[in-house]
Amino acid sequence: MNEAPAAAAETPARSWTPRLHRGLFLMILLIGSMGFYILYPLVLILINSFNVATIAEPPVYGLQAWRDAFSDPGIWVSLWNTIKIAIVRNLLVFPLGVLIAWILARTNIPFANGFEFLFWLSFMLPSIAVTFGWMLLLDPNTGLVNTWLKQIPFLNRITFDIYSFWGIIWVHCISGLDTKVILLTPAFRRMDAAMEEASRMSGGSTLKTMFRVTLPVMTPALVVVFLLGVVRLFESFEIELLLGIPWGFYVYSTKILDLARQEPPLVNQAAALGSIVLLLLAIIIPLQQRLIHGRQYTTVTSQFRPKLVDLGMWKFPLMLSILLIVFLAVGVPILSVLGGSFMVRFGFFNLPKTWTLEYWQMALSDPRLLEALENTLIVAGSAALIGPILFSLIAYILVRTRLPGRSILDAICWIPSAIPGVLAGLGLLWMFLGTPIFRPFYGTLFLLMIAFIMGGVTLSTQILKASFIQLGRELEEASRMSGAGFLRTYFKIVLPLMAQTMVLIGVLKFLFAARGASPIILLATSETRTLALLALDQIAAGYRETASITVLLVVLLTTGLALIARSFGLKVGIRAE
Amino acid sequence: MGFLQVRQLRKRFERVTAVDGVDLDIEEGEFFTLLGPSGCGKTTTLRVVAGLEKPDSGEIYLGERCLLSHSQRVFVQPERREMGMVFQSYALWPHMTVFDNVAYPLRLRRVKAPVVRQKVMEALALVGLAGLEGRPAPALSGGQQQRVALARALVFSPRVLLLDEPLSNLDARLREEMRRELKALQRRIRVTVLFVTHDQIEGLSLSDRIGIMNGGKLEQVGCPEEVYYRPATPFARDFLGKTFALGGKVSRPANEGLEVRLDGMACSPLQVAATSLPSARGGAPAAGDEVMVAIRPEQIAIWNSTPAGIPNVVPATLEGVHFLGDRYEYTVSLGSVTRLLIAPASQVLKAGQRVFLELKSEGITLWPRSG
Repeated sequence: MNEAPAAAAETPARSWTPRLHRGLFLMILLIGSMGFYILYPLVLILINSFNVATIAEPPVYGLQAWRDAFSDPGIWVSLWNTIKIAIVRNLLVFPLGVLIAWILARTNIPFANGFEFLFWLSFMLPSIAVTFGWMLLLDPNTGLVNTWLKQIPFLNRITFDIYSFWGIIWVHCISGLDTKVILLTPAFRRMDAAMEEASRMSGGSTLKTMFRVTLPVMTPALVVVFLLGVVRLFESFEIELLLGIPWGFYVYSTKILDLARQEPPLVNQAAALGSIVLLLLAIIIPLQQRLIHGRQYTTVTSQFRPKLVDLGMWKFPLMLSILLIVFLAVGVPILSVLGGSFMVRFGFFNLPKTWTLEYWQMALSDPRLLEALENTLIVAGSAALIGPILFSLIAYILVRTRLPGRSILDAICWIPSAIPGVLAGLGLLWMFLGTPIFRPFYGTLFLLMIAFIMGGVTLSTQILKASFIQLGRELEEASRMSGAGFLRTYFKIVLPLMAQTMVLIGVLKFLFAARGASPIILLATSETRTLALLALDQIAAGYRETASITVLLVVLLTTGLALIARSFGLKVGIRAE
Repeated sequence: MGFLQVRQLRKRFERVTAVDGVDLDIEEGEFFTLLGPSGCGKTTTLRVVAGLEKPDSGEIYLGERCLLSHSQRVFVQPERREMGMVFQSYALWPHMTVFDNVAYPLRLRRVKAPVVRQKVMEALALVGLAGLEGRPAPALSGGQQQRVALARALVFSPRVLLLDEPLSNLDARLREEMRRELKALQRRIRVTVLFVTHDQIEGLSLSDRIGIMNGGKLEQVGCPEEVYYRPATPFARDFLGKTFALGGKVSRPANEGLEVRLDGMACSPLQVAATSLPSARGGAPAAGDEVMVAIRPEQIAIWNSTPAGIPNVVPATLEGVHFLGDRYEYTVSLGSVTRLLIAPASQVLKAGQRVFLELKSEGITLWPRSG
C-alpha cells in the first residue's frame, strides 16, 4: 500500500521535467538564433561606429568615424532631407488619404469596392515600377510628357523635372496614398454609424458631425496610421536612389549606400550615420507605442447596416477625381513601362517602325537577366518556404505555451518592424564580413535569404499569433483528449487549420523578397543580384528598354502573384493592428 | 388628427420591401410602441421618422409642420426635426465625457454655458446619474450608458423621443429595472414616445398603444389589453403570447347568441360573446362554419370537479405536470388532442387526474380553420 502513492507521485515527475527541459531548450535555441540574426547586427553597427579599421580587419577603436561623420555636412544634409521629405509627404498624403478612405467607406460613391481593389493593386505595385514609370514620362530631356509639351505653343517653356525635390515628392505622393487608404477604409467602415446619427439627431449638420464626432472618434485609428507613416520615414529608399542621386540629393539611406560603396569604403562612417538613425528610432518608437496604446475606443457596430452619406451632386466629380488618382498611381506607370519595353524608342510614335519585340528577345537571352531571375526565385522561394514554418513555431510558442522567456522572444520578433532595410543590411554585412567563420557565406544567396526572412518577422508572427488565438485552444485539447500526442496534434489539427494563414505568410514573404532592394543592396554581389537590384543597376546605367523588361518581370512576380493569390481568396495585404 | 402623423410610408431596400404602406397617428404625450419580429420594418419606420432614411413615398407631419412629403418634395434633415433618439448601441461618443455627450445638443443650439450646465445637470439627475458627469463615456456600465443616451436625447426638450430597442443590450434584471424607470420617467415629463421593440413584455408593459408590425405592414393598433386578448390577425395572436386552440363548428349563429360545439368533445356547446370575432374579418359566422376557438392559457380556470352553474366547461385529463418555479405548466388531453396550460403555483394538481377547464367567454376568439 505504501508503494502505490510513491509511484503515482513519481510518474508525473518523470513526464514533467523532460518536457519542460525540451521546451526550455527550444526556447533558448529560438531566442539565441533570432537574437543572433536580429540584435547582433544592430549591436555591430553601434560598435563599429567606434571602429577605425575597415571591415574584415582587426578592430582599432577610436572616435575617427564619428569625427568624420560630424564634420561631413553631407551626413547632416541627408538626415535633414529624410525628415523634410517625410514631413512634406505626410502633410500632402495623409489628409487626402483620410478623405478618400472616408468617401470609399461611408458615402454612396459608385464602384467603392472597385476603387478599394485598385488602391490595393497600387500597394502591391513595387515602388521601382512606379518610380521608373514616371521617370520615363518626366525626364527633363527625354520624358514623354516633356516632349509633348515642347510641341504645344505657349506651354513649350514648361519642363517637368523628375530629378528634383518636388519630383521625389510627386512619386512619394502617388505611391504613398494607397497604404493610408487601405488601412483607413476598413476602420471607417467598422465605425458605428449610430454615433454619427446620434449627432444628427442632436441637431448637428453633416459637416459639423464630421468634425465633432466622426474625426474625433476615428482619432485612434488615424493616429496609428499617421505614426506608421512617421516610422516609415526611414524606410524610404528606391525613390530617392533613382531620383535623388543623379543630382546629388541624398537621404540617409542612400547616403549609407554611398559611403559603403566608396573606394575605399567608408563603412565606419556609414555605421556612425546608422547609429544616429538607430538612436532616433529608439526615441521615436517607444513614443509611438505610448501614443497608440494610450487611446483606444471600442466601436461597437450596431446590427443595422450603416447608412451611407448621400454625396448628391458631388458624386460624379469625386468619382472621377479618385479615378484619376488611381490611374496616376497604377495605370500610368504600368503603361509607360510596357511602352518602354515594346517601343523602338520610348515616346517616339512617329518613327517608321514604332513597336518592336527586339528588346524582349535580347533580354530573354541575356544571361545576366536569367541569372537575376534565378536568384530572385531561389531567394524569394526559400523565404516563402522557411518563413511560415519558423514563424508558426514562434507564434505557437508565444500564444500557447507558458515557457519562460516568451516576452524576450516577442520583443526580439518585434524589432525588425522598426529597423529600416538598409540598416539591417549594413548590420548583416558587418556580421558576415567581420566574423571569420561567416566570411565564406559572403557572396552567396544565403545572406539575402537571411535578410529577407528576418526582415518580415514582425508582420508574419503578428498574423500567425492572431490566427492561433482565433483558432481556440479547445480544438487542440479535443485532439489531445482523443489520444493524439503533441506532434500529431500539431501536424494533424493545427497545421491543416492554419493552412490558409501559412500560405498567406508564404506569399507575403515571396512578395517582399521579390520586390525588396534596400535590405540586400549592400549584401549582394554581381553574381547574386536579384531582379530588383538588376533593374536599379540598369536604370542607373541608362538602359531604359532593358530596364523596362526587368521592372516588368518584378511586377509580374509581385503584383501578378498577389493577384493570383487574391483570386484564390487569400487576403493578401496589411492591417493597422 | 394625431400629433405625429405618418401617412402611407413605403421603403424598399434593393429587393426587400421594408415598409409597405404604414399609417400612424400618435397623440401628444402618448407612449406608442411598434412591436414585431426582426425584419418586420419597425426600425426602418422609426429611422424614416427620424430622418435617417429617405422613404420611397409617404408623408410625415409633426403637429402642423410637414417633415416629409414625397408629393410636395419636402424632406427635413434629421438635425432640424427636434426629435431625440436613443440608439440600440447607445452611440455615446467615446472621445467625450458624460457631461459633453449630454451637452452636445445644447451647444449645437448655441445655448449659453451656464444654462447648458444647469440643463445637463437636470437631465442627468432625471435619469439618476448625478455626480458622474466627469467620467469618460466608455467608462460606464451598460445600464449607465443607456441612461446617458436617454439624458442626451431628452436634454433639449425634443418634441418626440424615439427609442430603438434601447433595452435589448442590457441583462435581464437590469432590463426590468430600466423598463420600470423608463415608464415612470415618461409619465413624469409627458414626452411623446415612439418605441421600437421585438419584446412583447416591453411593448405590453410600457405602452399606451401598440402597433403590431409584420412584413412591413401594421397588423393591428390598440391598447395593450386589446391587442393581447383580442388579436385581430393570426400573426398578432401568435406573436404576443401562447394560445390554447381547439377546433369546432358553429352550432348557433351570432344573432341568436353565438355557440360553438367542440370537435370530438362530449360537453355542451361553448357560449361565445359576439364581439369575439377578429375585427379584420367581416361577416358573422353562420351555423355549420368550421372554426378555431382560441383563448390565452391564463384565461382558463382549472377545476377539480364540475363547477355548478358555470358555462363553457370542458372536461380533460391531466397528463403531465411541470413545475416552473412561479407557476405550473400542465399538459392536458382533451379527447384526441393534447394542449398546454399554465396555472399559478398555489394550485396543486396531480398527473393522471381528471380536471374541468373553464374557458372564460370574454377571452375566447374565433378564427377560420386555416388560421
